[in-house]
Amino acid sequence: MHPFGDLSAYLDGALSSEARARVKAHLDTCALCRTRLAELRGTALLIAALPTPVPSRSLVPRVSVPFWLAPLRTFSTFASGAAIFLFLASAVIAYFPRAQSAATAGNAPAVSQPASSGAGDTSLQPPSSLNFNAPSPSAAPAVTSDRTGAGQSATPRDATKEVGRQDSAGPSANSVVDQSTRARTAPVPEPAPFAILLSPWLWLVLAMAFAAISIVVGRRLHST
Amino acid sequence: MRSEPGGASDVLLDRARRGDARAFEQLALEIERPLYRHAARMLGHDDAEDAVQDALLSAWKSMASFEGTSFRAWVFRIVTNRALDRLRSRKRHPELPLDPPSENDDSVSWAEPVAPGPELADLAADREALRVVEDALATIPADQRACLLLRDVEGFAYEEIATITSTEIGTVKSRIHRGRLAVRNILISRGWRGSSG
Repeated sequence: MHPFGDLSAYLDGALSSEARARVKAHLDTCALCRTRLAELRGTALLIAALPTPVPSRSLVPRVSVPFWLAPLRTFSTFASGAAIFLFLASAVIAYFPRAQSAATAGNAPAVSQPASSGAGDTSLQPPSSLNFNAPSPSAAPAVTSDRTGAGQSATPRDATKEVGRQDSAGPSANSVVDQSTRARTAPVPEPAPFAILLSPWLWLVLAMAFAAISIVVGRRLHST
Repeated sequence: MRSEPGGASDVLLDRARRGDARAFEQLALEIERPLYRHAARMLGHDDAEDAVQDALLSAWKSMASFEGTSFRAWVFRIVTNRALDRLRSRKRHPELPLDPPSENDDSVSWAEPVAPGPELADLAADREALRVVEDALATIPADQRACLLLRDVEGFAYEEIATITSTEIGTVKSRIHRGRLAVRNILISRGWRGSSG
């Protein structure tokens, strides 16, 4: 009777002393069992020689880290993203009204232009819509100087024309003055109580601060 | 193979029992690789990382109630149980049979070598042989594979394996023998042989 079932335990030293002696005595007389024992020994050596797989990351749980660190990193990350969005939004809001007012200022000379041109001399068209006040004062003196230059022989009729021309230039100039006066005397809106919240710089600073917190906490969580 | 740490680990174990998280992390760091090796051989690489991490976290949570002396055996028990549970619940692979009905280990069949070939004992450095062994381990029943790995790879004694797998020593002995024999038979069928004592 071959003790095949005991060969592995014999190999591993897991038999009782009596069983071990019995198996050993059998092995001394049985070549087949010795062969089987050698095969089991070789198999065990092969299993022990298998390459050790390596995990792709650390598997030790971070139990020594304060429980609030991970939520803090998550909050800081999202807060940084929100602050960046608000920075961009406030920058657009801050820039857009200026662009509108600049466009509005540029359209005003074009509005008064037809009045002056309709009154008379088309050669006195202001060169640019932005050159709001310049054309009229320059036109008037030019007219005046021309008239003055020719004033030696100015006639009352010419003076009347000149006055008319000045009058024609006057309303536009007056309208400009009126508008600027209205602008100057327009009531200045009081700053909103939370105007600071519209400052792009505030949100940029907050975004950078939250990002820094997120990075520092993240490194702490990943440190060994 | 296995080296049970001495006094230093006992100190760490006492501190970990009292709630010292860093002491527990140090203990876990010492057995992280062997745990992953065991879980990978049981489950494959995909699920092994999660199984090990869950087992270590579970060990930390129940650290205060741990009363044994071998932290290593205790955590291996957690990992082995989780691996066996996961194998039983897998649906995409047919259930590997548990231990077949107990028959006399002496009567389990031994495959005969087809032709003379290299001896098994000389194949430890043979890549092909190691690959065959790795494939063979994946085909044997999970319970046998667990006991075989705990013995031949991790070096646990039969009594420790019985504690880890919550079985009798006789069952451990039978599973190790059957598992080792199954791998041996596959190697013999591939042309390898054992030396004549």
